[in-house]
This record gives sequence, structure tokens and C-alpha cells, in this order.
Amino acid sequence: MVKELLAHLFKKPATSKYPFVKAEVPEGFRGKQVYDPDLCISCGLCSRDCPAKAIEMVEVDGKRSPLFHLDLCIFCYQCAESCPRKAIKSTAFFELATTNKDSLVLKPGGPSQKGECVQQ
Amino acid sequence: MGSRVKIQSGYLGKAAIEVKAGANRDTVKSLLEANKEAGIVALTGLDMAKKIGLMYHMCTNGVIVTIKTEIPKKNPKIATISDLIPGAQFHEREAADLFGVIFEGHPNPARLVLPDDWPENLYPLRKDAKIDEALANAETAPRQTEAVQAESEGDIVNIIIGPQHPALLEPEKFSVKVEGETVKQVEPRIGYVHRGIEKAAEQRTYLQDVYLVERICGICNSCHAACFVETVEKILGTEVPLRAQYLRTIILELNRLHSHMLLLGHAGLEIGYETLFQYMWRDREPVMDLTEQLTGNRVISSAMTVGGIRRDLQETDIPKVKTQITTLKKKMDFYYKLFENEPSFKIRTQNVGVLSKEDALKLSVVGPVARASGIAIDVRKDEPYEAYGEIPFNLITRDEGDSWARLMVRLDEVVESINIIDYALDHMPSGPFRVKVPRVVVAGEAINHVEAPRGELFYYVKSQGTAYPERVKVRTPTFANIPAFINIAEGGNIADVPPSFVSLDPCFSCTDR
Ligand code: SF4
Ligand code: SF4
Repeated sequence: MVKELLAHLFKKPATSKYPFVKAEVPEGFRGKQVYDPDLCISCGLCSRDCPAKAIEMVEVDGKRSPLFHLDLCIFCYQCAESCPRKAIKSTAFFELATTNKDSLVLKPGGPSQKGECVQQ
Repeated sequence: MGSRVKIQSGYLGKAAIEVKAGANRDTVKSLLEANKEAGIVALTGLDMAKKIGLMYHMCTNGVIVTIKTEIPKKNPKIATISDLIPGAQFHEREAADLFGVIFEGHPNPARLVLPDDWPENLYPLRKDAKIDEALANAETAPRQTEAVQAESEGDIVNIIIGPQHPALLEPEKFSVKVEGETVKQVEPRIGYVHRGIEKAAEQRTYLQDVYLVERICGICNSCHAACFVETVEKILGTEVPLRAQYLRTIILELNRLHSHMLLLGHAGLEIGYETLFQYMWRDREPVMDLTEQLTGNRVISSAMTVGGIRRDLQETDIPKVKTQITTLKKKMDFYYKLFENEPSFKIRTQNVGVLSKEDALKLSVVGPVARASGIAIDVRKDEPYEAYGEIPFNLITRDEGDSWARLMVRLDEVVESINIIDYALDHMPSGPFRVKVPRVVVAGEAINHVEAPRGELFYYVKSQGTAYPERVKVRTPTFANIPAFINIAEGGNIADVPPSFVSLDPCFSCTDR
């Protein structure tokens, strides 16, 4: 024990300096979704299979499209798995904490659907 | 018993024995006569329109035998078996809460999982329960407050620990009667985080339920998902590809690693040895990173699915996993020395909270708690599932039965888990990692059990031939282990209550569901 204690005097801390140093997530991390309206065929399968009932199908420009409620989402990615056209993909973005609940609604065609991270 | 019984072998475990309501006691008795070490795993209630089905899942020599019986819903009375098997007390109280079954002769038929102000005669798992109506009325109904607080009768002082207490991380309540420093009696009360997941599972599809049951417990999430999907696969008759079985095994063992290390660190915290807590949790972090690498999330892995696993293992991941677990294995030498030699650690755990083998058998305890009392049970060995039948590993037991032995069993199992992952990576078969399964599950019922980090986890699923299950029953390991806590604490020192409690590795969101 004493040996271990002394060794620690010369070691770097085990903790990381988040948020000053950005945390890296591995490839394939289940973060915030992006959805590609051009691929979507409005089948509604994503909405039907979502265990958290986080996807609502809404009309946008005459096309039924999924609207994600990220405050309900449990990031299981069943939606992406169920989608026959691979229109839903994950991003490495995980910093979703917000004081504004509306920012957690991903509207089809909205800015947050283009892949970049928008924080209000 | 003659014509009153109907035996179906190979059904619902090793065999299902159907008996008349009055004969359930006799059957349990003859089972106990045949094998003194038999215990109860779970008691499943089932709404069958005019009747209530009861299934006593008994465990004898590592296999499960189910005793089935039916009682009329109008007069749901049945004789208790808790005098024969004390471990059945909690199971019966739960069935009484959720199905309104009256167990005649039960020593303590108080509520267990439902709140005290839950309406009388509303049994949530009955199909005709009008829960919405009751919830609407709940706002106006007079609130019952829990009247019992700390009080004393002569030399005996009644101390209430919980539901909010600094030494307990989850809400549960223990009324502890002490005389001086000595604990005389312990009365547990659970149900503070009862979320009705068994009921919720009936309202979701099988596909969605995988994610739902995964959230019963954050720590052993993969075990819940694996146990559920295996049960559904049994009903469907699906053969899971071998590669998927190996991959599932790896995820399940990562789950065990992080859970055991969490507990070992937590035990350090409870006995006031915070350095151990910090070291252990520091070394646990790579395990979380590996889980994230392989599944896409640190904690909730969402890796299991009916018919296989959702993600294949990338060749590039293998070296990374290997390096991490080798480093971890080396680090375990340090913890062995610490656990075996550190006086401040030993003084708080050795000969504290002893659970004898006889008591452990009587109370039907499971997992590391049973193994630390010298009972050699482990579902991975008794009824190998996934790839466990092909992977060599040791079944760990210790004879001391004290808190120290319970922690040491886990430390040994950490090393075993590392070896299992190592072996599985070396012998990973190629081929598909999942097969397509129908969304609608054929009518049928099945049981399944797996060895979760805390012990045997049990599932029962019944299908009516739709996309929604008719009934999902979950018996979590802690539910079986709580009665042991009463046994351990009584007669001990009040200051030993938190450390010996933690050595059971209790998980209350599991227990309450
Ligand atoms: S990730 Fe899961 S919870 Fe979130 S929207 Fe997709 S299916 Fe629903
Ligand atoms: S499943 Fe895919 S294609 Fe179908 S509605 Fe959802 S996003 Fe569109």
C-alpha cells in the first residue's frame, strides 16, 4: 500500500480535464441522431419500433417525416436498425444537456438535422 | 398423490408438475424430502381470466422444476409454503401484492412492493385492474403517512434506516431494533422504486421489451437483456449462431467485471477505506471504456437482440481488449495483497456478518453470497448457456461465509471473468452474428435463468401468439438475497450493518422492478 501511495506522488492524475479537454468517444458510439430526409420513404417503421415512443411522424412539405424527441430518447438506435433505407445515423455528439427543452426536438429539415451540433 | 398430478418433463425447466391447489404443499414437501438442498427460485402469478395461475419454480441440484397450480380468482386462497422454505416468504408477499393471492398461514402478510397508500383490492398485475382510474382518484385520496419512527420500548431502541439514508445509495427501509449496540431484529421494507416494469412489458412488443428490461438495472443491464432474449428464443425455438453466443459471453463478462469492481470499491467506501474505493474505481474505468468500444455505450450496452447480437466484433478491437484486460489482471495482484493483509480491511470484514451454509440453503440465497457460504451453485456451470459450456473456468467457493469471503469470491471472479474474455477472444468462431426472427412470437411459455453478477437471474415469459408478451416475470438476485441480510444483521453490531449489507451487493432497482 505504501509503495502504491508513493508511486502516486509522481503520477499524473487518473481523471481527465473535461470539459477543457474534449472527451473522445469511440467509433460507433450511440450519440445524437442525424436523419437524411432524402433517403426517407415515410414508412414510419422507426416510429413504430421506438421503445421510448420518442419519434413522432409529422407532415413536412407534404411528406411524412420522423420528428425526434431527444428528451424521451434512450439512444438504443433501434430506429436506425429498423429503418429500411438507413436514413438514420448516429453521431459522436453527446453533450445534450440543456436548459431549453425545445432544443431537444429534432424537427425534420431543421438545422440540427444537417449533422452539425446546434446548441441554443 | 396419484391421479392429482400431471408431469410434463422438459417443460418450464427440467419438468412441470401440475397439481390441484391443495396439493402444492405436499409436492414441495416431497421435493424437500428428495433433496434437502432444494430451494425456491421464484413464484410466478398469472392472470387466467377466471383463475389465477401460480407457478412455484423450485431449484433442486441446479435445475429448475416448476409446480403449477390454479386457484379461483373469486376466492384466491392457498396454503403458504413459507414454513417449509423460509425463502418463500418474500415471493408470497409479492404475489399477494400484485395478484391479490391470500397465502393462508403466512407469518407476515404485510405489503412488500406496493406503497402503503395503494388502494385496497387493486392488484396491478391482474389484467382487469383499473389502474388509470385509481391513479386519477389518487390525487384526492387521503394520504397515509408512515407513522413508525424511531421509538424505544424499554432497553430496545427502534432505529429506522432509510428510505433516505447516507449509508444506503438506494431507497429501502430497515427498521432495526437494537439493544445497546447489538441488533436484535431487522424488518426490511422495499418497493420504493417499484416502477411496474413487468406490467409495462405487457404493453410493449418483444423488440421494445429488450430495451425496457435492460433498464431494470443499470449495472447488470446486459444480463437482463440476455436472459429475456434467451427466454423468447426458447419459445421461438431459435438457434442462435455460435459467434453471437461468444460475443454475448464477452459482453456478459464485461458486465460482471464492472459490477464486481464497483462493489469492491463500494465496500471500501462503506468500511471507511476510501483509498480502496478510489483505486478500484480508477481501475474499473478501462472496463467501461471497453464496453463503450464494443457496444456503443459505457453503461447500457443495448447489445442483445432476439436472434443474436446487434453488433459484430471488429478485428481491430481485439488487440485493444486484450491489452486492457491483461493490464487489469496484473493490477489484481495488488488487490489480493491488500485484501489479504490490510488490517483495517480485515478487521471490518472478517468474522463479520457470518451466514452459515445451513441458513444460506434454507433462505435460498444465490450468487456470490451463496458461494461464499460454501454452496457450489453457478448457473454458468449448472446449466451452461451461451458459450459457457465450451469455456473452461473455475467455480469459486469459500467456506467462511463472512463479509470478507463474500468480497474475496468476487475478487476471484474478476480474475475468472478476465480469463473467460481472453479465451473467448482466442476461440471466436466466424460466421453470422444474428439471425432474422419473426416479430410475432408463437404461443407458448418458457423460463430461463442466467448468472448475473449478483447471482441467479430468472425470467418467465408467456406468449399468446402476438407481438406483445402476455406475461413477463422477473426474479432478480437481490430479491432472493435480502432475507439473508436479516439473518446476517441480527445478533451483530449496529456499526457492522452497512458493511455487511454492502457485502451482499444489494441492488434495489432490480429488486423492486
Ligand atoms: S434511439 Fe431508440 S429511443 Fe431514440 S429515437 Fe431511436 S429508437 Fe427511439
Ligand atoms: S424508418 Fe427510415 S424510411 Fe421509414 S420513416 Fe423512419 S426514417 Fe423514414
